[in-house]
Amino acid sequence: MNLIYMGKELYHRKRRTLTAVFSLALGITILITINALSKAYSEAARMPLKEIESDIIVQRAGNVPENLDGAVFACSAVTIRKDEVNQIRQLQGIQGFVQALLLWVFDADRFTIVLGFDPKNPVGPGALRTQVTQGKFFEKGKNQALAESSYAETYDIKPGDTVTVGGQDFQISGIVDASRATKIAVANIYLDMEDAQRMAKESKQVQNVSPFESNDANILFIKANPEQIDSLARSIKKIIGEKASISTPASFLKHLGSLFSLSDKFSLATSLIALVITILIVLKTMAGNLAERANEIGVLKAVGWSNKDVVGQVIGESIIQCLAGGILGLIFSLIAASMLGLIQVSIPIPWEMSPTPHFLPGGGDPVFKTLQLPVSISWRLAVFSIILSTTIGAVTGGLLSRRISRIKPSEVLKNE
Amino acid sequence: MNNILTAANLSKSFKALQVVKDVSLTIQNGEFACLVGKSGSGKTTLLSILSGLEKPTKGRVSINSTSITDSSENELALFRREKVGFVFQSFHLIPTLCAWENVALPLFPVKMDKEIRKKRAIELLNQMEIGHRAEHRPSSLSGGEKQRVAIARALVNRPEIIFADEPTGNLDSETSGAIMDILKHLNKKNGMSILMVTHDQDLAASTDRIIHMKDGKVVS
Ligand SMILES: Nc1ncnc2c1ncn2[C@@H]1O[C@H](COP(=O)(O)OP(=O)(O)OP(=O)(O)O)[C@@H](O)[C@H]1O
Ligand SMILES: [Mg+2]
Repeated sequence: MNLIYMGKELYHRKRRTLTAVFSLALGITILITINALSKAYSEAARMPLKEIESDIIVQRAGNVPENLDGAVFACSAVTIRKDEVNQIRQLQGIQGFVQALLLWVFDADRFTIVLGFDPKNPVGPGALRTQVTQGKFFEKGKNQALAESSYAETYDIKPGDTVTVGGQDFQISGIVDASRATKIAVANIYLDMEDAQRMAKESKQVQNVSPFESNDANILFIKANPEQIDSLARSIKKIIGEKASISTPASFLKHLGSLFSLSDKFSLATSLIALVITILIVLKTMAGNLAERANEIGVLKAVGWSNKDVVGQVIGESIIQCLAGGILGLIFSLIAASMLGLIQVSIPIPWEMSPTPHFLPGGGDPVFKTLQLPVSISWRLAVFSIILSTTIGAVTGGLLSRRISRIKPSEVLKNE
Repeated sequence: MNNILTAANLSKSFKALQVVKDVSLTIQNGEFACLVGKSGSGKTTLLSILSGLEKPTKGRVSINSTSITDSSENELALFRREKVGFVFQSFHLIPTLCAWENVALPLFPVKMDKEIRKKRAIELLNQMEIGHRAEHRPSSLSGGEKQRVAIARALVNRPEIIFADEPTGNLDSETSGAIMDILKHLNKKNGMSILMVTHDQDLAASTDRIIHMKDGKVVS
């Protein structure tokens, strides 16, 4: 075995070598790109939930409120009882948990969407803490509230002001930037869970549609072990029942409706087909190469190369060639990834996840979370594809060299 | 003088066709023997058997008392690498490798210092008086030069015997003479044993011994 000899043989058969190198490069590019895209789409589908620090959001659909007066439940989020909350909380795989309460509040002079939650809990809307642009985040038990910026502008609200919502007074602790806020469970006023619960409990409209006790909730934000998200979603569905509306990265992926987000099976199948075609091309070019070299291999054997030496030479050439193809494919993929990363995707946020009354200006308009496709090639994928190319080289080389190495030198060296 | 090569009762058949028929012969150490006979008489086949390229259907071969009759393929490869040098009519050089690399070809599977390998190849090319063509590929060499490279390759593993199958068959008479001189020189000065096949009566006459073959048999 001799690297220079291998290199010279490959160089001498430029066309064949380039065919093999480029077809392998192409196969590897397809493999890496499809996998990176599929990962990018599932990554993107995770974004709307990720920015509200959740993996699962649980709601229960209910009836439309009879009268739009005082605090009401949007039909997409009605009571989740305390006992159900406790049951869910005990499920395996939950890493973080917060209950919240979303209310539409119709006061005489204004309409307000209110979201109540525990401000100390980092899960769920607690993530808004980093988006406060003026003043401070609200604190528990102090009758404080956070106002969303466009609402604050409309009603000329500043930190320190007092607002009256649903008959209760709150001191505005700060303003949160709506454009930078999450797209899920968007509200005008964010306040402590207990205040919201009191508002709901005292509302006749709420009680009419969906009986509510002072410890109940209507939205649950859950952080979970990524592997257990789907099984958790199923268990939760069992607890909440028919009307459960459970959002997970998978449910967003469905809304994305891209070919690459359809299923892992699609990307797996495409990668496999690309690979098989690639391997066939590599095999064919190498077989052609070896067929032309029967004489040369006879010479090698005549001068004392063993079958193993011949096999080593052929496998070596094949590995060099395939490794070059793999590296080239990786380079192509990096270029492809940087271009695909420019693609913008808009993830539709279902109305139910951020309900606004239809009769308001802009109410019921589709809401999108727009982001650039987070395409990246992981180290694991890169290393895997290099190992894969090397393996393809070794296996095809090994397959083809076995027979050719058994050539009888006396057969090919007959004077032609 | 002892024998470098002993063959006893060799026969070789290809299917029904018997090509070598009960051949026994010996080559002495340092002898330059010549195998002649009509085309198709079995010279190449006999040479292949004697050199370990091919196995006989029957009979025994040993070189320097190493029997190769029962050797495996791998053992035969090793045997060819260590004990035997080959020179062919059509040179059989590797087209992608330059002259010195062709010479070093039998040493590629041997674990040794690359510089030593190259030095040995260049030395042999100098000996063949084509050191200046060491970096050239076979396609740019003349027939005589190619055969000199091939002889250098046959010598690189320091063999005990050289088998040459019509080494001058593709060369004009002047170049043939030069190649013959090289072989004779190797035989006389280095004591190299040589078994050569040729059709050329004059070349044959200038060797130590002529072995005649006819219809697969050695007749004298
Ligand atoms: N592998 C083989 N299979 C079948 N027949 C073979 C094989 N090798 C040689 N022969 C036959 O054996 C006979 C002797 O062949 P060989 O090549 O030994 O002759 P030769 O004396 O070297 O002839 P030439 O002077 O033309 O080179 C021929 O008839 C040839 O057709
Ligand atoms: Mg012949």
